[in-house]
Amino acid sequence: MSHLDEGTLHALLDGELDLAEVREVQKHLGSCVACGSRLQEVKQVLAEADRLVGAMEVPAAGPVRRQAEPPRSPPPFRPTREPEVWDEPPVLLVPDPIDANSRRKRWMRGLRWAAAILIVVTGTKLAGNVLRPSHPVLSERDLTSATPAVPPTVVSPEETRRPESTLATRNKAARPVARSPVQRAEARAAQVVEEPAADTGEPSVGQRLADSVPAAALDSVPEGAQQLAADTYATDSVSQPVGLAAEAARDTTTTEAARDANAEQPSEADLLATRRAAAAALEELDRQRRRERANAATAALPPATRPDVAAPADAAPRPLTLEQRAQIYLRIGLDEAVKHLGGPVHVIEGMTPELIGLTRAQLIPGSSSNRPVVRVVYLDTRGRLILLDQQRMVGDQAPSSPAGSLRWSIGDVMLYLRGEPSPEVLRSLQARVR
Amino acid sequence: MTADLTQLFEQYYGSLVRMLYRRTGDRDRAEDLAQETFARAVAAPPNNPRPWLFAVALNLVREDGRRNLRQGRRLELLRADAPPAPGPEEDFDRNEASAAVRAALATLNERDREALLLKAEGFNYQEIAATLGLSKGAVGTTLARARRRLVEAYRTEGRGKHVAS
Repeated sequence: MSHLDEGTLHALLDGELDLAEVREVQKHLGSCVACGSRLQEVKQVLAEADRLVGAMEVPAAGPVRRQAEPPRSPPPFRPTREPEVWDEPPVLLVPDPIDANSRRKRWMRGLRWAAAILIVVTGTKLAGNVLRPSHPVLSERDLTSATPAVPPTVVSPEETRRPESTLATRNKAARPVARSPVQRAEARAAQVVEEPAADTGEPSVGQRLADSVPAAALDSVPEGAQQLAADTYATDSVSQPVGLAAEAARDTTTTEAARDANAEQPSEADLLATRRAAAAALEELDRQRRRERANAATAALPPATRPDVAAPADAAPRPLTLEQRAQIYLRIGLDEAVKHLGGPVHVIEGMTPELIGLTRAQLIPGSSSNRPVVRVVYLDTRGRLILLDQQRMVGDQAPSSPAGSLRWSIGDVMLYLRGEPSPEVLRSLQARVR
Repeated sequence: MTADLTQLFEQYYGSLVRMLYRRTGDRDRAEDLAQETFARAVAAPPNNPRPWLFAVALNLVREDGRRNLRQGRRLELLRADAPPAPGPEEDFDRNEASAAVRAALATLNERDREALLLKAEGFNYQEIAATLGLSKGAVGTTLARARRRLVEAYRTEGRGKHVAS
């Protein structure tokens, strides 16, 4: 046998030879050293070629990326690539029933969206009608009573005593109302909107249905409820007498209807309490706003009216300014104080006044309301307030100053020494008033 | 038939893209050609899908290459012959190795290269013969020549130090 060709050796290593061929090749290899060594060489070439071809991996993510080796860290000089459109799994554009199936799903999805949008639009429109100020339900109420979530009075407590069929019809409309707040609000809006239409409503299936119930009860039933009941039994009324539909409506129990109605409609007392609470809340809000405005104005006043005396440094962090503590409505300078008093301003010797200002005369017992009261304000070393009030007296206004009193006169000026320190301290200070 | 086609897609798309990428060196082009291949499979469902899919894909590569040549773009040859130029989105080391192998692969003739790539995708000799229009007996010789030339070209490229001795 001649030597094995290279193709046969590759076929042998690739497992492509049948058993007879394999036996023949093995027989030759057992006797031919050259072919044996060539086989070893072919093995290496084959392994190397497979390795090289296998090294060519698709670089980016995708279905073929699954067999790639684990991703290495990106080179430091190259930013990480953002995912691109082509990184997404490829899409085979094949027109087949799978697409038809998904098309059906898309249709259903579209229909669901359309239904949702229709519901939202309808609900918004109905809610808009309810909130319109000219609406009869709201026009007879003030805004205070409309602000809390008070449902419109659609069903009065008397209605629960009406004939069964009316309640059953009403119950059909009210039944889904109690399920959730959203549904309740929608149903409520629908009821309110339907009310004015009841006057001009044309004869409908609902009215034909309602012919089987007492007319007096029917008058107070909103047409929306009638229509809803008519819709509910529309299919039945086509093939069955109207009375059957009414009887079916009558099957729902009266107690259930009454419970639903009561749960839905709060009592008059509740409404009154709600209105009072709302009014009280509004009043409280008003008071709070007034207080805030007053505080803001007061806080802004001192720097705007400050004449020439700088505020003490330690007064700044206090919650009340020194003027507020001393009840001074206007700070004045020494010259102005002299004018008011018609003479020199009296001071406590050895103490430096914090400020001089005017205060209301009513604060000083026995003082005249016709003359301004000049108040000299001191702070002792412990921060206690000391006030030396001075007022120029008119004519015969005689000071009544008993001995030891902190109210006395110097010339035609009445003085009154007050403050937070004890009377003994104040008396000692009184001796230093010049 | 549709279910079969879907199954074919799931089964062979990755392999087809990989083979086409090794053949063209362009991932986007490989994916485009793979999708074009499946689109043709929809139009004319094959009886023996795997050889058919890969034969069509290789035909598309050849047509694409000829069209590019006619238009003077020569994108394929540039990509195949150019020294490894790392794309901004590719891992540098892997791209370097892959480009060196692709350069060595480009030195092979068309049939040898395709036989090698099909074998790397798990084709047996019968399937390679069916895909490339060869006799089964010629596949071994073709593969032997392709492997030897690939390794020699790779070693000539100066990468011989990586070859296991």
